[in-house]
Amino acid sequence: MTFDRNARAALADGQLRDALRQATTLFGERRRAALATAPDWEGARDRARAIKDETLLHLDRYLEEFSANAERAGARVHWARDAAEACEVIGRIAEQRGARTVVKSKSMASEEIHLNAALTARGIEPVETDLGEYIVQLAGETPSHIVVPAIHKTKRQIAALFAERLGIEPSDDVATLTAVARQALRRRFAEADLGVSGVNFAVAETGTILILENEGNARLTTSLPRTHVALMGIEKVIPRFADLEVFLQLLPRSGTGQALTAYQSLLTGAKRRPEDEGPAELHIVLLDNGRSRLLASPVTRQTLACIRCGACLNACPVYRQIGGHAYGSVYPGPIGAVLTPQLFGLGRSPELPYASSLCGACRDVCPVKIDIPALLLHLRAEVVATRAGKQRVLERLAFSGYAAVMARPRLFEWVVRATRMLKVVPPLGAWTKGRDLRPLAPRSFRDQWRAGLSGKAP
Amino acid sequence: MRRSDDARSQMLHAIRENLAKSASSDAAQHAPPCGRSVPPTPNPLDMVARFTEQLAAVGAQWTVVRGATEAAHALARILTSAGARRVVGSDAPLVQRLVSGLGDGFVRESLDGLSRDGLFACDAGVTTAQWGIAETGTLVLESARENNRLLSLVPPIHVALLSTSCICDSLGDALARVSRASHAITLITGPSRTSDIELTLVVGVHGPQAVHVLLLEEEP
Amino acid sequence: MRVSLFVTCLADQLWPAAAVGAVAVLRRVGCAVEFDERQTCCGQPAFNTGYRPEAGSLARRLIEIFESSGADAIVSPSGSCTAMLHHYEQLLEDAGWRARARAVAQRTHELSAFLVNRLGVEDVGASFPGRLTWHDACHGLRDLGIKDEPRRLLRHVRGVELVELPPPGAETCCGFGGTFAVKYPEISVAILDEKVDAIERAGVDAVVSGDASCLMQIGGRLSRRGSSVRALHLAEVLASTS
Repeated sequence: MTFDRNARAALADGQLRDALRQATTLFGERRRAALATAPDWEGARDRARAIKDETLLHLDRYLEEFSANAERAGARVHWARDAAEACEVIGRIAEQRGARTVVKSKSMASEEIHLNAALTARGIEPVETDLGEYIVQLAGETPSHIVVPAIHKTKRQIAALFAERLGIEPSDDVATLTAVARQALRRRFAEADLGVSGVNFAVAETGTILILENEGNARLTTSLPRTHVALMGIEKVIPRFADLEVFLQLLPRSGTGQALTAYQSLLTGAKRRPEDEGPAELHIVLLDNGRSRLLASPVTRQTLACIRCGACLNACPVYRQIGGHAYGSVYPGPIGAVLTPQLFGLGRSPELPYASSLCGACRDVCPVKIDIPALLLHLRAEVVATRAGKQRVLERLAFSGYAAVMARPRLFEWVVRATRMLKVVPPLGAWTKGRDLRPLAPRSFRDQWRAGLSGKAP
Repeated sequence: MRRSDDARSQMLHAIRENLAKSASSDAAQHAPPCGRSVPPTPNPLDMVARFTEQLAAVGAQWTVVRGATEAAHALARILTSAGARRVVGSDAPLVQRLVSGLGDGFVRESLDGLSRDGLFACDAGVTTAQWGIAETGTLVLESARENNRLLSLVPPIHVALLSTSCICDSLGDALARVSRASHAITLITGPSRTSDIELTLVVGVHGPQAVHVLLLEEEP
Repeated sequence: MRVSLFVTCLADQLWPAAAVGAVAVLRRVGCAVEFDERQTCCGQPAFNTGYRPEAGSLARRLIEIFESSGADAIVSPSGSCTAMLHHYEQLLEDAGWRARARAVAQRTHELSAFLVNRLGVEDVGASFPGRLTWHDACHGLRDLGIKDEPRRLLRHVRGVELVELPPPGAETCCGFGGTFAVKYPEISVAILDEKVDAIERAGVDAVVSGDASCLMQIGGRLSRRGSSVRALHLAEVLASTS
């Protein structure tokens, strides 16, 4: 399985593991410190989840309201059923405006639909402007973390990359490297014909989209080029303008431990007068790509409450060891393990729901209280029921046998006794490779109970 | 056009269909609470103090000034010590006054008629801010009131004039006060930053590296 | 107080000292303990791996067994198995079975929660000389909210010096996760090694927990790494009167 192979490769990469340990520990500490500054953290989580629940239950209505209000304010709203359609819409907008270069601020949805490849195929150059995404793009790789996409790279590796691709002198100084990227990208911002951004929240009541960031590249992407295209999953909509407050209280603290990120841009439609600053046009692309299917049951619907803060990645003991690439998807970590199979099909990643020890740390830190372990268990049951995973014959037999034995206490005891007598070692090489195996007790509890522990004569 | 209409109706249909599937397992839904808790009414003096405390915490600098003359001196001082020569001011009348009052040591620009290259060559941008948020040290800029988007973003130094009477307590307060007619509302909390390389904090990436707030105390 | 012991298949066959210890402690604080020999497994391995029909059949079986007990409470030396019992209500689809599952779950308690919250007992008259650290097993911690109770009990054990792993150390997963431990052994051991590193740095004689599964995982790695640190079940420490 690809996940197996990727996970092993990640585990063998000492530098990656150090970087992951450092990053997840730091973000975890910062998040905990930030909670202390939040007024009523648990209350905020409950309110945010209630808003998401209500929105998702009436998603059609809220999307229609959002669309109407955005268009009333001068935006053009496009509906895209799947990745291909979204790429087609955005590609056509770019082509019609003669765009040669497109600057992009962070958008996981754009990665999901492989927008960059689609634009490149049309002879249009997409340029990632978020520093981490820029680094990852230069390296020809994919992001490994939602908030810090290039966490898997050392500054030395980045220096070598910049030296090779940008022709600068290699430098170990992070501020210097950042300044190099800033310089290189400023030119691209100034020249770009079109800017593509993501959307963190879309307000139905006003048709407003909100984008949050620390670097300023999203502001540049959405204010300099003549045309701005904002791509959003349909689950990003929230009902009221005032609802933004609770989500802004939760997201930055959960993701990076900040009370607020450096910038929030609230954009409503296109500029009112031609002489005003900003793009002449705003296009908003509403992306389904499998999300609507998740509405079909309460347990799966909560997946759509996710606000992409990254807190679950930082809390997950599995992610901490293997990083984002092992998940083989634009969405890594605990949320990725449940979102990826649901969006793209269990058949493509039947192993992801099993890549978890079910510890529940993710559920503890999720700002909108998504019960990820419940989702993992639901998906595991789906994998078994639909036989989505391969090579499961032996496992199915094993569990049938187990159920049959456990239904019969005498048989259970007999099997254990036989195992002990025949010194049968179960094929648990997977266990014994790293751990000693505790042997069966010479006298089980029930043996001792019968022999007098019960208080009755044996 | 037609393709998008098809997509729209199909998507809405898919949403309704899937929601209908889950209807039997959904409990009765109540109207959700609005995303606001109701905080106590704050003391205005406290608010300025809290605002400046937060400004410092997020790495912004601030100076209290009483009246336009003090503001002009403070502006000149800030720009000089930062080595900023090329200064662009917004279309707000107060900013225009202050920037035009700067001496000949400065190259004074105005957004009107400034080319893109010219904008990128500026050392400092001066704007007003419509609101301040005490809770987080945040500046709120509304596009309906002033052309402040690019000047608060492109030049490496941003100077913002904010009246102390416009400082509100919380994000929720600010959201309730902004004009929704603004097609762009920008919340700015400190200078731009990133930790993308080995988690090392670097201040000043794509947005300004320094933010100075001139706090205008209203004359009594 | 009549208590029916929910021994768990793991404790029964692999860590009987936990169950024997639990019986001793419960008797010491004045409970009469019963044991229904018909019980085997709560179905957790099947449920966690996605085999719901198999888990369901074992769930119904266990519900029937405990329903037939007139005991005041059902007590288990395992947080995860107790949590599994509490999840029966979600696993079973029939409304009748759900009600029965709920009724049994309401009477079912993990050992430390039972002692501290139901009986109001923190000092069980134990003594055990040693420097110990506690590992919060995930299901007990997050599904049942057990955090304080074992620590209160351990602090009253004469001779115990209870050392807390630097936060969030005690709460981090040991990497067992049921079949996860054998499906993804390398990841499981990578997670485990961080835990074991922290335990060794704490300079303790033993790590104590409320779940035999965690103890097998942690103990198995401690011995593989040649460590002198022992892995003990809470009940073993509480039962000790040396």
